[in-house]
Amino acid sequence: MDEEPAGRRGRRRLWTRLGLRARVTLLFGLGALVLSVLMGGLSYLTARHFLVSERQNASLHQAYVNAKLIRSTIHGSTAIVPLLAAADSGTAGSSSLLYDAFDGKWYVRSISVGQGALPPALRRLVLSGTPATQSFQLDGDPEFAVGVPIPSVGAAYFEVFDVSDLRGTLRVLALALVAAGLVTTVLGAALGRSAASRSLRPLTGVSRAAMAIAGGELATRLPRAIDDPDLAGLTGSFNAMVDQLQERIEREERFTSDVSHELRSPLTTLSTTLAVLEAHRDELSEPAQRALVLLGDDLRRFGRMVGDLLEISRSDTGSADVALEEATVGELVRQSVATSSRTLPGGGAAPAVDVHPSVAHAWVRVDKRRFERMMANLLENAALYGGGATTVRARPGPVGPDGRSSVRISVDDAGPGVPPPERSRVFERFYRGQASGQRGAGTGSGLGLALVAEHARLQGGRVWADEAEGGGARFTVELPVEDEATW
Amino acid sequence: MSGRILVVEDDERIRSSMRLALEGEGYEIDEAASGEEALDHFSAQPPDVALIDLMLPGMDGFECCRALRRQSAVPIIIVTARTDTHDVVAGLEAGADDYVTKPFVSKELGARIRALLRRARPVEDERAGSLDFGDYELMPDEGVLRRADGTEVHCTRTEFRLLCELAANPNKVLSREQLLDRVWGYDYFGDGRLVDVHIRRLRTKVEADPALPRHILTVRGMGYKLVP
Repeated sequence: MDEEPAGRRGRRRLWTRLGLRARVTLLFGLGALVLSVLMGGLSYLTARHFLVSERQNASLHQAYVNAKLIRSTIHGSTAIVPLLAAADSGTAGSSSLLYDAFDGKWYVRSISVGQGALPPALRRLVLSGTPATQSFQLDGDPEFAVGVPIPSVGAAYFEVFDVSDLRGTLRVLALALVAAGLVTTVLGAALGRSAASRSLRPLTGVSRAAMAIAGGELATRLPRAIDDPDLAGLTGSFNAMVDQLQERIEREERFTSDVSHELRSPLTTLSTTLAVLEAHRDELSEPAQRALVLLGDDLRRFGRMVGDLLEISRSDTGSADVALEEATVGELVRQSVATSSRTLPGGGAAPAVDVHPSVAHAWVRVDKRRFERMMANLLENAALYGGGATTVRARPGPVGPDGRSSVRISVDDAGPGVPPPERSRVFERFYRGQASGQRGAGTGSGLGLALVAEHARLQGGRVWADEAEGGGARFTVELPVEDEATW
Repeated sequence: MSGRILVVEDDERIRSSMRLALEGEGYEIDEAASGEEALDHFSAQPPDVALIDLMLPGMDGFECCRALRRQSAVPIIIVTARTDTHDVVAGLEAGADDYVTKPFVSKELGARIRALLRRARPVEDERAGSLDFGDYELMPDEGVLRRADGTEVHCTRTEFRLLCELAANPNKVLSREQLLDRVWGYDYFGDGRLVDVHIRRLRTKVEADPALPRHILTVRGMGYKLVP
């Protein structure tokens, strides 16, 4: 039973692809159509039956009255045709015929309706002395014939009624019913659509809340729909899910914070004690001094690694906070380069800073701590893998689709450069690529460039790697420039 | 340089290593393992500088900071394991003058302690006399801030120095970096938060409505200025 025919599966897929709203609309429309066809058909049949039998009764009555009139007035063979004409004048669209059995002659008033027009079965039955009626078609028009034998004068009276006007009435009725059916179908579909939209509206709320939560607003909850038992279930389980999610994330954050405390405490002891040892360096023997240098280097590296790990894990849990403030590009770049060059491994020369005059006084909104970390990591990266940064440039960048201009701050080095296939991968965590062979005296935490990308993102910018003039690596950070008009 | 330093830290190893490092620089050290102990030490023998770790068992570092601030203008440095804004700003708002991040380099800590001790001494410069603004009278050489009615306004040494810098340059915009350099006393990039929080604290003391300041104004993207 698991095997469903491919055709049905295909249809089911098409059906689900339509979307809930379209499906409900279609179902409501279809329901309205079936219902209106049923109701319309029934109404039509009932109305037709009623109209036809009414008409037949009237015709019968008329025919009997006429037959009686003819019996009482026919004496000998006085003018029969005017008599028939008088009989016809009673009802529009009827024609009378009289058969005289004495001379076997037919008397007809209308040219179009002769004795040949009468159905033979009816004629035979009436001539044999039995009154009868019959519906039939004459030249495509519906007719109703009544035959009344008048034995007292040895004659039979026939009257043929044209009931084509009844057909017209029925056609109008049918048209009206079809129109009503169509209107009902459309109304049904519209009702379905509005009902579907209405019942989907809470889902829009759910989707909006889910988006907000995905965006990090963990406190988002759905309002409780107390008076709606159907929605209460959804709201309840959605909120319960978010509660659990939030609890897990908070547990994660607490863990990060605990780890931070636990790791940083021994690190603090180590680095403080190391400083004491370094202060008494001259009292140590030569091998002990060398050991102290090694210890100091790796302790600082370990400290940076722990710091970087904590920083990146915070931004993973969405608990990174960003304190944006305004600053001018020129001052920001100059100061951050000056500060971070001082702590560079190897103590290389500070790079040249080249700020284009058009951006020197442009305002950017940055988190100064993050901006400084970003520059420090880029300079450190250049020092470790590119022989030290040569130039830090600030240039105007392109105008974004939102009309905001941007600034590009690039750090160049004179090293071997980053091969094109590695240019996006160098921003991955712990990615070492070609540089893995150079893992020597000074290596970073392996998170430096990943953090640069993270810092850039948190400040509304981006970072990429390409080639500097002369073949070295160039890392460029692009940040949006504040529009002064918005101040 | 000499002085008495109260180290409030629950980790015994860190306390011992700090004692080693700071005693090496010539300071006297008092150790406290909790906020409660710190308050006892403080009333027994007030230190010149207090170093308070934010994560303490029982009374936390913020509370300890506020409690000390209620009874004294002693310079306070908070020690935090987190560099991002929340803890730092909360610590500064609780009344701290400065902060260091674990694991700190003891050279850096030493520099900050020295800067704080320097700040604690009266201003000795050509600006002696009084600087007035609004209803306030500021006397740099006495270290006193008074209202026109003669009542004294209590503020920490850092707040006082900051106010002196602003009042000595009326109507002139001073950038955060300039203020950091002149008040905190070391060239220090990247933490305008120190200035921002101290400005907020000052406003609660000298502005009728700190949300709508009349004297200490923010100049967007530039810094702060004092309007007498």
